[in-house]
Amino acid sequence: MKVVMIFDQTQAGLGGKENPMLPLGGKNMVIGSANMLDPYLKKNDMQIAACLYCGDGFFEANKEEVTKKMAAMCKKIGADAVLCGPAFNYEGYGEMCAHVGEFIEQHVGIPTVAAMSKECASTIEAFKDKVNIIDMPKKGGIGLTESLSAMCELAKMKVDGVDTTAFVEAHCY
Amino acid sequence: MFDKLEKVLMPMADKLGKNKVLLAIRDGFLITTPLIIVASLFLLFANFPITGWSEFWAGMFGEGWESWFTNVSRPVFEMVGFLSCFGTAYAYGRQLEGDAIQSAGIGMIAFLILTPTRIFFDGVPAVEGGDVAGGLSFLYLGSQGIFLGLFVSIIAVWLFNWVYRRGWTIKMPDGVPPAVSQSFEALIPSAVVMLLFFFIRIGFEFTPYETVHNFIYSVLQTPLKGAGNTLTAQLIYGVATTVFWFFGINGPAVANSVFGPITKVLTMENLEAFQNGTDLPNIFTDPFSNFFTNWGGGGSTLSLVIVMILFCNSKRIKQLGKLALVPGIFGINEPIIFGLPIVLNPIIIIPFILVPQVNLILSTIATNLGWIPYTTGVALPWTTPIGFSGYLSTGSLFAAVWQIGLLILGCAMYYPFIKILDKKYLEEEASAVAVEEEEISFDDISFDDL
Repeated sequence: MKVVMIFDQTQAGLGGKENPMLPLGGKNMVIGSANMLDPYLKKNDMQIAACLYCGDGFFEANKEEVTKKMAAMCKKIGADAVLCGPAFNYEGYGEMCAHVGEFIEQHVGIPTVAAMSKECASTIEAFKDKVNIIDMPKKGGIGLTESLSAMCELAKMKVDGVDTTAFVEAHCY
Repeated sequence: MFDKLEKVLMPMADKLGKNKVLLAIRDGFLITTPLIIVASLFLLFANFPITGWSEFWAGMFGEGWESWFTNVSRPVFEMVGFLSCFGTAYAYGRQLEGDAIQSAGIGMIAFLILTPTRIFFDGVPAVEGGDVAGGLSFLYLGSQGIFLGLFVSIIAVWLFNWVYRRGWTIKMPDGVPPAVSQSFEALIPSAVVMLLFFFIRIGFEFTPYETVHNFIYSVLQTPLKGAGNTLTAQLIYGVATTVFWFFGINGPAVANSVFGPITKVLTMENLEAFQNGTDLPNIFTDPFSNFFTNWGGGGSTLSLVIVMILFCNSKRIKQLGKLALVPGIFGINEPIIFGLPIVLNPIIIIPFILVPQVNLILSTIATNLGWIPYTTGVALPWTTPIGFSGYLSTGSLFAAVWQIGLLILGCAMYYPFIKILDKKYLEEEASAVAVEEEEISFDDISFDDL
């Protein structure tokens, strides 16, 4: 099963807060924090086909264009599922995850799962009914592995067309 | 193995991380931190570790110019116990979702009820007029009062809010301004707390300790401080903070809820001694921990960044290294923690745990041998770059050189591990290039199907 990851500059391993204008880009291999997901991807028979990234400031300035390009790229790659996150408590990244995730699911039809912590409150409020957002800890908080596992598991369930109601209730906002 | 470790650590971190009392103590200290850093800079200016510094300024402003500066630093340092009491009471009130400022007020008053407010003068008989002054002795408000301040604020605020929630309050009719009705609502809860501490004070007057201050200081603070002032305790602290980071948990935030109050006392004692010009008593202060064991962010990752830039060949690692260098110099290693990543990475976690431990052991030996002086307790921002921080926190140039030596040693320790990762990434990059281009191009992307 082919998975595409959506990252901001920090999770892509391309800088921190000082590098928000990192332009949209991508690599067809595992980069940055995708390594954290390794055991959970394997468990669910998933493989990372590509990691797409964009600085949170660049996304803010070019929201529509970046969203469409990411969606079109996921389609071109032929992804079975898209994982947007883990966004922790990075608000700009959280918004990108929800926004891009919703668009991909609605317009390209690829199952999508986002993940962010409750600190991204306004994004969660606006998007929780439009895309599945896994409840995860903030940066340095407790319960990271559980939420990473849930991201992969839910994506797999959605691809397999299994009923996700109970799982979503337990793990999503 | 990691799964088993996680099963043990997770509930522990969860408990500590959610405990309202520990959170309040941690946040309470944070309220005092900016004051302590600013006061430290004043103190540092008055005692800058350069020969001739004092004489130079005395030539301009006359003898005693230092007192202008110490008049700012002294009130902060000598009130640090009282300030911790205030901060903790405020933070605990907030944790309990009560009236935070009212909580801070009741915490401070409870502390003062237990504190002697008459100062007797040596050699003068205590008769009316002149020989007894109303006042608070800094002796009770400074580092000696930190533990009592914490206890009192927690007990007082908990009781205050408990009574409040039971509804034992005076309710004013509608139409009374909120500020007025709130102050009446706080009346009975305040009375209950003040009565409790009234009895506690009287009770202790009948014991050999005479005051609660003396009791807490000798029964709790001194032994705990002694236990914290050991290499073993520091090693445990170091392992805890880095192992927690492996699981994505902010280790210092968890471990400091236990160790924070103890190292705070140790630091403040050194600072007081430094101000008074007496021998510095403790090795394991906050500056020692920040600048001689775990600088450059958790795991002393500045060494790692340098190795990434100088000796790694994979594009990803080199690029991340370059981007992480400047933040790394100032102790910010977020890009590395999540971008390399260190979290959940079983290879890099080994030096991530070991490097700070080796720094700790070597720096302790160097301090014991007298190669580097004890830290003065002057609080510098943890973002102070290596070299400067060593010099400013001890006044010794050799300490700055020592830090650079540790930095190089750290590079040697990180080297074999990052090379393993480098090799793996290089292979991935090569296979990605073999399949097609490694970089994904968005140039010819089409929106037709969207």
